[in-house]
Amino acid sequence: MTPQRSAYTRRTVLKSTAAATAVTHLTSAPAIADDGGTSEITLSVNGQRHRVAVEPRVTLLDALRERLGLTGTKKGCDRGECGACTVLVDGERIKSCLTLAVMRQGAEITTVEGLARGEELHPVQEAFIRRDAFQCGACTPGQIMSAVACINEGHTGSEAEIREWMSGNLCRCAAYQNIVAAVADAAKETPR
Amino acid sequence: MTGLVGRGVARVDGRAKVTGAARYAADNEVTGVLHGHLVLSTVARGEITEIDTSAALAQPGVVAVYTHRDMPRLTLPSFPFLKGFLPLQDARIHHNGQPVAYVVAETLEQAQEAANHVRVRYRAERPTAHLADALGEAFLPRPFRDRPNEFTRGDAAAALKAAEVRIEQDYTSPTMHHNPIEPHTSTAVWNGNSLTLYESAQGIIFTRGVVAKAFEGFGVRLEDVRIISPYLGGGFGAKGPTWPHTLINAAAARAIGRPVKVVLTRAQMFTMNGHRAEYRRSLRIGATRQGVLTAIVDTSTGQLTRTEESIFNTSDSTLNLYACPNVHVRQMGIRLDLPSSSYMRSPETTAHFGLETAMDELAHELGIDPVELRIRNLPATGNTGNHLQECYRMAAKAFGWARRDPRPRSMRDGNEYVGWGVATETHTYSVFPSSAGLTVGVDGRATLRAATQEIGTGTYTVITQVVADGLGMPIEHVTTLLGDTTYPPASLSAASATMASVIGPASHAAQSARDAVIALAVADPRSPLHGVPAQDVVAERGYLFPRGDRGRRDTYHGVMSRHGRPVEVTGSKQNTGGRSHGAVFVEVRFDPRLAALRVSRVVAAYDPGRVLNHRTAHGQVIGGVTWGIGFALMEHTVVDRNTARVVNPNLSTYLVPVCADTPSVESFFVDRPAEDSTALGARGFGETPGTGVPAAISNAIFHATGRRLRDVPFTQDKLL
Repeated sequence: MTPQRSAYTRRTVLKSTAAATAVTHLTSAPAIADDGGTSEITLSVNGQRHRVAVEPRVTLLDALRERLGLTGTKKGCDRGECGACTVLVDGERIKSCLTLAVMRQGAEITTVEGLARGEELHPVQEAFIRRDAFQCGACTPGQIMSAVACINEGHTGSEAEIREWMSGNLCRCAAYQNIVAAVADAAKETPR
Repeated sequence: MTGLVGRGVARVDGRAKVTGAARYAADNEVTGVLHGHLVLSTVARGEITEIDTSAALAQPGVVAVYTHRDMPRLTLPSFPFLKGFLPLQDARIHHNGQPVAYVVAETLEQAQEAANHVRVRYRAERPTAHLADALGEAFLPRPFRDRPNEFTRGDAAAALKAAEVRIEQDYTSPTMHHNPIEPHTSTAVWNGNSLTLYESAQGIIFTRGVVAKAFEGFGVRLEDVRIISPYLGGGFGAKGPTWPHTLINAAAARAIGRPVKVVLTRAQMFTMNGHRAEYRRSLRIGATRQGVLTAIVDTSTGQLTRTEESIFNTSDSTLNLYACPNVHVRQMGIRLDLPSSSYMRSPETTAHFGLETAMDELAHELGIDPVELRIRNLPATGNTGNHLQECYRMAAKAFGWARRDPRPRSMRDGNEYVGWGVATETHTYSVFPSSAGLTVGVDGRATLRAATQEIGTGTYTVITQVVADGLGMPIEHVTTLLGDTTYPPASLSAASATMASVIGPASHAAQSARDAVIALAVADPRSPLHGVPAQDVVAERGYLFPRGDRGRRDTYHGVMSRHGRPVEVTGSKQNTGGRSHGAVFVEVRFDPRLAALRVSRVVAAYDPGRVLNHRTAHGQVIGGVTWGIGFALMEHTVVDRNTARVVNPNLSTYLVPVCADTPSVESFFVDRPAEDSTALGARGFGETPGTGVPAAISNAIFHATGRRLRDVPFTQDKLL
């Protein structure tokens, strides 16, 4: 767990002196190429290191989608309300629209593209297919990342507990009862 | 037939959706793409007097800023372009949140930032934003798509006057927004006069028509426009029409000479893409003491705009569901200074909520069981009556309805009052002309192409099932491709039309292709089937053999590899629209200490004709029922009375059901083929579930609390 995990949301950072605040708390100093405010940073995503030039205001979500081509992570609301952009940062679930890319250097980021091992799906992915835990699929990457974390957190003791701890991820198609079933299934199969 | 149809086959697009591999419209990497961001009006009525883009243009990375002064002039399209005006073509402001400028920059962040620097001055007039402020201006709009807005049967006024029992009440529902998780998006790529759009569209064929019309002044023809939409991240009606951002973005891309991508923000989705209109309904019902309906007078009043008068929320169930001899329905409207409304999942819910609540009021008044009251009024003939009684029997039994004590506040569990309510579910589905192209390749595998869409309902999966079944081929050997206007034209994914429209053509194509391959086999001296009469050959699991002689067999792969060229066929089949029905039973629990209400149990049964895939059909049920819960308990868009501005344009104040709000829903299907459907006996179904849920919840609340609520949403303040 890194100290800046919950201390700075995107909004508080943007409200204050954006770059300065963010940069102060970086675990490793960014190579700031003073090129119109663009910084060259390294993001470690799904075990791969990516050099990417971003302005400090670029969210982790937009860095993933628009710079790294990792479009599995979805943008639903861009303000932390829908959960479609959920990714794991050092194993913990966060909404990637509420954090800046420059704040996540040195962290290990996992997106939905990083769960399967080759052809072999992650147990949560398998369970989502088996239980029909999605329809349109737009919230699904976020649901799956949240489910992986929910299981790791141990919040799968009962159906009610799963419902509560999966309520940060909206599913407008409302596959909720199947999502609950999938999370319960995968929790049984996942050693903690 | 290999028994694939009907089975709850897992979604064939499941792997793509759980791995992030499925490419939605905004996920396409387009070389050199620019990013656009809309600037929206901050007044609701009036005109722009001054607009200064110089500061925005001076921002880093900005390529262009368009306003009504310099936007290319487009042609105003008609249905399904629903606004009646095109923004950025003149200075007039028709609603708050209307586009007034379009900023295009190298990066998304640059476009968003520059949009803050566009300065606009308005001459603002006072808007009218609520129905209550203009009730005297209600009028009967012109017919919409050839459907009149007034219907009469018998003499409802006289029958109402003469009725032994009358229920006369008003019911209201607020503005609601679709809020699919995927925002509306469009990426425009021009190549000369050819335009490709990566589009979030529920109807690519319709979108192509609207776009071609808008650009006809530039010499763009229908065949010059290609719409690509292989996956849709939810639509619920919002992405059926084509909205201004698509046309504005494409016009900008054309003028700049580079591809441009636009993604609406969540807040913009509250004024840019339609909504369920605010409604008031006056319902007058007359009946005999035995509970036989004798008169219904249903006058609804919905929000229209000053440029548009389409009625999307029709009172079909008032007219058709029950066998009432005297009915008078009027669908009125009031012009307000708001964005155009549009279709939103199960649009008849606004009307049906009133009818099914009134039926419960009548049942209570007469002391007749609400299920029995409905059954007494079902028509003797016609598709309404088909299996609805059986739905009632199935769901009532599973729910335990017989144990209900009908007296309000009679059932308790600890501190909570328990209420049980019921309603009929009903939806009128459409069909759209559809076709499907099927290719059997030299590898013996099949590919079906159709220009319809996958919006989450399982279109890829069900079509693949039907085609594999028709060909007699393993499902893994069939690929379905959707969402590209270069494929044979097919249905809009709306009005529960997709399956009813596309399954006939897909099935027809499969049978034609199977027959063509069998004909090749029996004519081929190298085939073990050589000389066998074609009509005696059957296909199963990819094998072709004479009926009853599996030993003498060929395979699709064998026949096609010897033939050396693909077999290509096109399937088409007409179908007609209709209605599908069901019954929904709801349990609520009410804690009077907190005025806290929750839906704890839902059981429903349906008659969708033949069920093509039980898994995806059940998915539609849980989705629809949850939408019904949202409609009843939380969803409402708040429009400020003075500014006509949406006050809650986000998902933390426009509440939709979350996982913890929803109970598990138990569903049953009659599952008998509808003789009047060419879609292998399947009816359009997706929007039937949920239509009765708000009334069922209202009725359950009455049972739990003794209080009759007629104004959705039933928020906590109304239960105190």
